[in-house]
Amino acid sequence: MNYVHNMITDGLAFAIPLFIMAVGGIFSEKSGVINLAIEGFQGFGAFCGALLATVLGMYTGMGTQTTLYFALAMAFVGGSLYATLHGLLCIRFNADQVISGVVINILGVSLTTFLTSQLSGVFYGSASNKFTLGVSDRFSVPGLKSVPVLGAVFTNIYPFEIIILVICTYLWYLMYKTRFGMRLRACGDHPQAVDAAGGDVARTRFIAVMISGGLAGIGGMCFAYSLLSQFSPSIYLGYGYLAIAALIFGNWSILPTFFVCVFFGLARAGGYQLCLFMGLSSQYTNLFMTFPYVLTLLLLLFFSKRNRPPRAAGEPYDKGKR
Amino acid sequence: MTDQNYIVEMKHITKRFPGILANDDVTIQVRQGEIYALLGENGAGKSTLMSMLYGLYEPDDGEILIRGRKVRFKSASDAADQNIGMVHQHFKLVENYTVGENIVLGIEPMKKAFGLFPYVDMREANERIRALSKSYFLEVDPTDVIADVGVSTCQRVEILKMLYRDAEILIFDEPTAILTPQEVEYLLRVMRELRRGGKTIILITHKIEEIKRVADRCAILRRGKLIGVLDVAETTTQEMANLMVGRNVDLQSRKTEAYFGEKVLEVDALSVRNDDRVQVVRNVSFDIRAGEIFAIAGVSGNGQTELADAIAGLMRVESGTIRLNGRDITRGNIRERTEAGVGYIPEDRQKYGVFLDFDLCSNLCLRRYYKAPFSKNGILDFDAFGRYADELIDDYDVRSAQGRKTSVRSMSGGNQQKAIVAREIEEHSALIIFVQPTRGLDMGAIENIHKQILAERERGAAILLISLELDEVMELADTIGVIYNGSLLKIAEASALTSQEIGQYMMGVTAN
Amino acid sequence: MKTISNDFGVKIKSALARFLVNEKWTRLTVPLFCIALTALLSSILLLILGKNPLTAFYSFLAGNGFAAKAKYGAGVGMISDFFQFLNIMAPLLLAALAFIFAYRCGLFNIGISGQMLLSGFLATIWVGYAKELSGGIAKPLVLGIGLIAGGIIGTIVGYLKYKFNIHEVVSTIMINYIISYVTGFYINSYYVDQVSRSSKVISTASRLTFTKTMVLGNYCNVPLGILIAIGMAFLVRFILERTVFGFELKAVGSNRNCALYTGINVGRQIVYSMMISGMLAGLAGVTYYLGFTNTIIPKTLPGMGYDAIATALLGNASPIGAILSSVLITIFQNGSSYMSSMVGVAKEIASVITGILLLFSACGQYFRTVASAYLRDLAEARPVRHESGEEGEENELRP
Repeated sequence: MNYVHNMITDGLAFAIPLFIMAVGGIFSEKSGVINLAIEGFQGFGAFCGALLATVLGMYTGMGTQTTLYFALAMAFVGGSLYATLHGLLCIRFNADQVISGVVINILGVSLTTFLTSQLSGVFYGSASNKFTLGVSDRFSVPGLKSVPVLGAVFTNIYPFEIIILVICTYLWYLMYKTRFGMRLRACGDHPQAVDAAGGDVARTRFIAVMISGGLAGIGGMCFAYSLLSQFSPSIYLGYGYLAIAALIFGNWSILPTFFVCVFFGLARAGGYQLCLFMGLSSQYTNLFMTFPYVLTLLLLLFFSKRNRPPRAAGEPYDKGKR
Repeated sequence: MTDQNYIVEMKHITKRFPGILANDDVTIQVRQGEIYALLGENGAGKSTLMSMLYGLYEPDDGEILIRGRKVRFKSASDAADQNIGMVHQHFKLVENYTVGENIVLGIEPMKKAFGLFPYVDMREANERIRALSKSYFLEVDPTDVIADVGVSTCQRVEILKMLYRDAEILIFDEPTAILTPQEVEYLLRVMRELRRGGKTIILITHKIEEIKRVADRCAILRRGKLIGVLDVAETTTQEMANLMVGRNVDLQSRKTEAYFGEKVLEVDALSVRNDDRVQVVRNVSFDIRAGEIFAIAGVSGNGQTELADAIAGLMRVESGTIRLNGRDITRGNIRERTEAGVGYIPEDRQKYGVFLDFDLCSNLCLRRYYKAPFSKNGILDFDAFGRYADELIDDYDVRSAQGRKTSVRSMSGGNQQKAIVAREIEEHSALIIFVQPTRGLDMGAIENIHKQILAERERGAAILLISLELDEVMELADTIGVIYNGSLLKIAEASALTSQEIGQYMMGVTAN
Repeated sequence: MKTISNDFGVKIKSALARFLVNEKWTRLTVPLFCIALTALLSSILLLILGKNPLTAFYSFLAGNGFAAKAKYGAGVGMISDFFQFLNIMAPLLLAALAFIFAYRCGLFNIGISGQMLLSGFLATIWVGYAKELSGGIAKPLVLGIGLIAGGIIGTIVGYLKYKFNIHEVVSTIMINYIISYVTGFYINSYYVDQVSRSSKVISTASRLTFTKTMVLGNYCNVPLGILIAIGMAFLVRFILERTVFGFELKAVGSNRNCALYTGINVGRQIVYSMMISGMLAGLAGVTYYLGFTNTIIPKTLPGMGYDAIATALLGNASPIGAILSSVLITIFQNGSSYMSSMVGVAKEIASVITGILLLFSACGQYFRTVASAYLRDLAEARPVRHESGEEGEENELRP
C-alpha cells in the first residue's frame, strides 16, 4: 500500500513541472513556432531563478521557502527573456525553427554553465559548477490525506504543484476562451487569416514563444528545488525533450497533455517503487527507470497515426505570400 | 462631376516587387454605390492594386483617397477602419474554427464571466451573423466547422466577414473562378443585392462575361498599366477582350476533328478512401480512348484529385480495377505505372510536381534519372542529365535565369509548370493526367499549355483532364464526366452538354 | 547629393553584400562572415571580462598544436597536441556525418548520443574485455560492432517513423534514455572499476588510438579514427552527390510528396537513411569510447551527440563542410583547458563561443537574403538614365 501511495505522490511531483513545460511548448507550437528549445529555456530560466535565490539567501538571509517564490517568478522572467532569442531567430530572421531550437539549447547549456562557474566564484569564494538551493517544503491536506489510495494525491505536496495547476488552469482559459488565445491558435493554422483580420501574426507568435520560455523556466526551477536541490548543469537531464514528447503525445491539446504527463510521472515513480517492492538492490532502479520511455514508445505505436500538428507550424510567416 | 462623388480614389499608384513592376502609375476612381470592375489577365497587377487599397502592401508611389480624404494604410485593420473589406481569391479561413469564429476573428465580441474574466462571446456573435445572413440571402450556419463546408459556403463566410465589419467598400478578388454556373448566378445576385443596399463593390476578374452582367464601369489593366476605363453598357465583349490582351484575341477553339483509337484507360468500379478513412471516390467507372480528352468537371473537393492520385498510384485503391492498355495496374506502385505509360501533371505543382531546392536540370530528369544513360550501376552521369535538360529547355521554351543550373524556386510559376509539362509529355505516355494544369498562370502560359494538351491528343494519347474551371473543360474536352461527392453523376459527349446542365450535376442534381 | 563618406559606406556595404551572395562561393562566404561576427562578439565578451582576446585566440590554437605553447612537459611537444586534436576530432566528425546523413533525408537524428553510447558499450564488453584478441582482429571487430549496433538502432528509429508515424525526435529521445539507463545498469552491476566509478579500462589491442607512440621524438596518441572519419566524409559526399541512392535520399529530404510522386520508395529511403546515420554514429561511438577514451562513465550520454548537430549545421550539412567545421569546433572545445589556464577565464567560455557561432550560422540564410535585397535596392535606386528604354516597359522606373 505504501508503495502505491509513494508512487502517486512522487509521480505527481514529477508530472506537474513537466506539464507546465509541455503547456509552454503547446503555446509556442499552436502559434506556429516549432519549439525544440524547451530544454534550453528551462535551464536558463532555472539559472536566473537560482541566481536570484542565491543573492537573496546571501544578502537578506531569507529561508529556502521564501526565496523559492522569488526564484519561481525570476525563472519565469529569465526564461521568457531567453526565449526572445528563439523568437528573434524564428520570426524576425526566418531561421529554420528546428535548427534554431537546437542552437538555443546548446547556447543555453554553455551560457549557464559558464556563468555559473564565473558567478559562483564571486558568491562562494571558490568557483564551482552549482548554486546550492535546498529542497522545498511539502505539505499534506488534513482529512483528505487519510482517504484510501487517493489520499496520496493530497499528501506531501510541493507548494509549487498548486501554483502550477493554478497557472495552467488560467492558461487553459487564455488559450481557449479569450481573444488572445483565439488569435494565437489561428496563427498556427492560417496566419494569413489573422493578418487579413487585422491581427499581428509576428507579435502574437513572439508573445507565445515568450510565454513558452517563461513556463519552461518555472518547470526547470521546480526540478531544481525538488529532484536536484541545486542548480547545476545536471538540470539538463532532457526533461525539456520529454515535455515535447508529452505534448506530441497529447496531440497539442492542454488537457490530454496533462494526462500524458501524469502517466509519465506515475510510470517513472512506479518503476522505482516496484523495484523497492521487489526488494531488489538499488542497481536495478536503473532498469526500472526505463519504464516511462518503453511504455511511451509502445503507446505511440498505437496513437501516432492520428497526430495532427498545427498546420502552419514551422513555416515562417511571410506577409508578401498570398 | 466633382471629387466628392468618388468614394475611392487611387492616384498615380506605383508598386515594385523584386524584378517586377506590378503597378505603374495607375489611377482609378470609384463612385459611391457602383460595381466597378478591374479587368486584366493574371499577373496584370489587379490583385496588387487592390491589396494596397486593403492595406496589405503600401504603394511605393502615389496616393489613396477615401471619401475625398487622403489615407495611408499600414495594415488591413487600417483599411477596415475605413470600412473597406476584401474577399480574397484564396480564402483566408482557419480550417478548424467554426464559421462564426472565423467571422469574428479580429473583432471578437467580449463579455466578462463573474464580471472579471473576459471571454469571447460566441453566442451573441452567432445571433448577429444569422441576422446578417438572412438580410443578404447569404445562407450559413455559424456553428459549422470550416473544414466540413464547401467552397461556396467559404465564400459566403468571407462576404459575411466584411458585412460583419460594416464594410461599405467591398473588394471581390476573382470570386467566381471555382464556382459552378449556378453558384456564380447566385453570387452575382448577392452583389446586386449589396449594391441596392448602398455598398460600393470593386470586382477583380478576367471573365468579361461577368463584367457585362453586373458591372457599371470597368478599368482595364495590362502589365501593370492602366489601359482605359470603359462604360460597360457601351462596350462590346470583343473590344474588352482585345484591350485586356493587347492584341486581337482569337476566341475560336483550335481543336481538330477527333479520331479515337483503342481504349487506353479502363477504370471499373473504383473506390478510394483517404487517410481519415472517408470514402472520397465511390464506385467510379469510365474509359478513355486514344486521342480522347476526357475531362472531369466538379466543384473542388468532390474527389477529383483523389481519383487522379489513385490512377497515378499515389493513393491506395480500396476496390475496383484500373487497366492501362488492357493490363491491370490497380496494385502496381507509382514507378511501375509510369513505366507502363502514365504521365501525371499534379494539381499542386510546388507540393508534388517539382523539388524547389533542386536545379532545373535534376527536375527535368525525374522520370529518367535511374535509367541509362542517366545512371549506370547506381552512379549518376551528370553530362547525360545536362544534355537532356538542355534539349527540353530548348524544345519547350522553359525560361530561367541561369539555364539548367537555375534553382526551380527562383523560377516563375508559368515556367515551373512548363518544365513539368515538358518532363511528362516527353515520356510520350499512353495516358497523361492533367490536374488543374493552368491554375494561377497568365493568359500566354495558359494558351501554351492548352496547345500542348491538344498536340498530345493529336499524337494519340489518352488524356484525363481535371479542372475546376468549367470554361477550360468546355473548351478542351471530347467527353465530360461530372463528379459529385466522389461519384461520377454523368458521362456524356462534350457537345451534348451545356454549361448550365453541367452546373446542375456539379451540385448533385440528377433529377432532370 | 551624398557625402563622400556616405558614398564610401555604400561601397563597403555593397562589397560585403556581393561577397555574401556570390553564386559560386556563397556556401563558403556566409560561414566566414559568421565566424568573423563571432570573433568580434567574443572579443568584446573577453574584453568585458578584462582579458586579452588575442592571447585567448592564440591559446586556443596552441592548445591544439597549431601554435607553440610557452612550455612543454618532457617528451611531448606541439605535435603531441596536434595528434590529441585529431584524436578528439575523429568521433566529432563521424557524429556530424551521422547527423548529415539523416538530415539530408529530412530526418532529425538527435539520438546520436544514445547510438554512440550503445555501440561503445557493446564493443567494450565484447571486444575491449577480451584480453586474448590481438590488435589485428580486435580493431576490425570493434569497428564492425560499432557499425552494426548503431545501424540497428537507426533502423528501428527509421522503421518506427515509416510504419507508425512516430516522430524521430520523440523516438530517439526515448531510446536515448533507455540506452543510458540500461548500459548504466550493466556497467554499475558488472563492469565497474570501484576506484574510478567508471567502466573498467579496455585492452590496448582493442583501442583504436595508438597511445604513447613516438612521433618525431614526441609521445603522441595516434588515432586510427581520423583516417576513418575523413575517409567516411568523402564516401558520404560520393553517396550523396553522385549516386542514384543519394539523389533519391535528398529528394525525400527536399520534398516528401514530390519524392512519392517521382516513384521513389519513400519509406525504404527513410529506413536506409536512418540506418546509415546510425552506423556512422556507431563508428563515432567506438572511436570515442575505444579510441579517445578507454572507459565509459555510466548513465552519461556523450555531449558530443549534440555538438555534432552544431558541427553539421555550421558546415552547411555538407560532408566537406563538416570537416572544416569540426576542425573549428574541436579547436574551441579541445583548446579550452589550455586557454583557460593561460587567460584565466572559465573554460566553459569555449562552449559559449561555439554557441554564438551557431546562433549566427542559423541566421545564414537571412544574411544572404538581406544582402541580395540590398544589392537589388541599390540597383533599382540607380538613376533611370543609366539603363534607359532598351529593356522594355517593365523596367521603366519612376524617379
